[in-house]
Amino acid sequence: MIRTNILWQRTQGVIVSLPIQVLLLISLCMIILWTLYFSTYPPVHDALHETRHHTLTVACH
Amino acid sequence: MKSIKYLILTLTAIAVSALIWWLNLSPVVSTPTVKLETEPPLEAIIADETVVKFQLQAIDRDQQPLSNANIALHLLTPAKTPWLTSDFPIVEGTELLNLQTVSPEGNLAFEQVLPIRGNYRLQVKVTPEVAGSFEEFEQSLTFTVPENRVKYRNFAVLAVILLTVGCLSGWIVAGDQKINEGEIAPQPVRMLLSGMTVVAIAVLLLVNISAEVAASNPGVEAVSQSSPILVNNETMQVELLGDNQAVVGNLATLGVKVSNPTTGEAITDVKVNLKSVALESDAVMFAYQGIPDQTGKLIWKEQFFDGASHQVTATVTALEKPSELLEVAQKIDVEGIAPPLSVRFISLFYFTLIFIVGLIGGFWVRRAKTA
Repeated sequence: MIRTNILWQRTQGVIVSLPIQVLLLISLCMIILWTLYFSTYPPVHDALHETRHHTLTVACH
Repeated sequence: MKSIKYLILTLTAIAVSALIWWLNLSPVVSTPTVKLETEPPLEAIIADETVVKFQLQAIDRDQQPLSNANIALHLLTPAKTPWLTSDFPIVEGTELLNLQTVSPEGNLAFEQVLPIRGNYRLQVKVTPEVAGSFEEFEQSLTFTVPENRVKYRNFAVLAVILLTVGCLSGWIVAGDQKINEGEIAPQPVRMLLSGMTVVAIAVLLLVNISAEVAASNPGVEAVSQSSPILVNNETMQVELLGDNQAVVGNLATLGVKVSNPTTGEAITDVKVNLKSVALESDAVMFAYQGIPDQTGKLIWKEQFFDGASHQVTATVTALEKPSELLEVAQKIDVEGIAPPLSVRFISLFYFTLIFIVGLIGGFWVRRAKTA
């Protein structure tokens, strides 16, 4: 029981640690950017077609 | 022995210099060539927007137009640039247009939208219609299309947003990270993650609402009207030949055949106006006016670089009776190809890097202040 408690506390410690939080933040930023600029999902692509074509380094079809 | 060596070396150097000097002095022998003019000028072209009028003129050694020439033309797109991709990566390093025509005045004019920035190559081969009237020759012309300025502006706006958000995030993360009793994460971090989640929700909502609005308003495509691909009157029959499906990155072969409806004989004394229109934007992508060859056919190959439906129209006018015209049209379904994952990941890496720079900047400034 005590061991499980320690393990849980350690897991919590790792998750809320600064590097993990920063990593989560960057991942969230990346997924938003991917959805907006690079996703091929038709509704997303169609909605932002013009923006994609008019932004440097963004490839469309 | 050594001095002889130096003497030979010096004499060789003098001989090479003299040869170079003589080559520079000798008059340039003019050769038959092809002159290219564009309207608007190349520097004023906006990629994927401007319809560029190309005018090619084959001239002989005396700068006089070559008459009765067969002109074969290949228009090649700029090379692939995966580290700074264009908006049409599939089109990079491919052939955009392939035209072959018989020209009594040795000229060729066509209109074409150029999809991307970069160095295009125009390969032209001029051969005489009557063998021996002049020597055939080939020429490769290059021209550069500048990048659309709007792209730089939009990229700058995005970079500023990413830097600002990154900087703010770094500032918050660098703050007091003390965990209060009963909390699983420091208050500022939880606030930051919540904020980012709200942004994600708002972005996805906006995207989905826009997609729904776009879906409920059908574009021009749905109302476009196709003419038949075979029409005839008493004296002339016009048929549109070739592919009705195309894939981005590849050439589609198309043709017009003009013949006599009763005898089936080829008709050549006509003028053919060709036009490709992108149905999504209702914009002209390619236009050309030519005459059919001895078999009554006018064949051309073009790439539909925008992965959406196009309409190809051919209007045939009899040279003797300009009022007599026939029109045929064909809808071309174009299959778009998604950009390679590698290209998209490279661009995502650049954007993420900008965010990380902002993050580190904000973090460093806050820590430096509190230290």
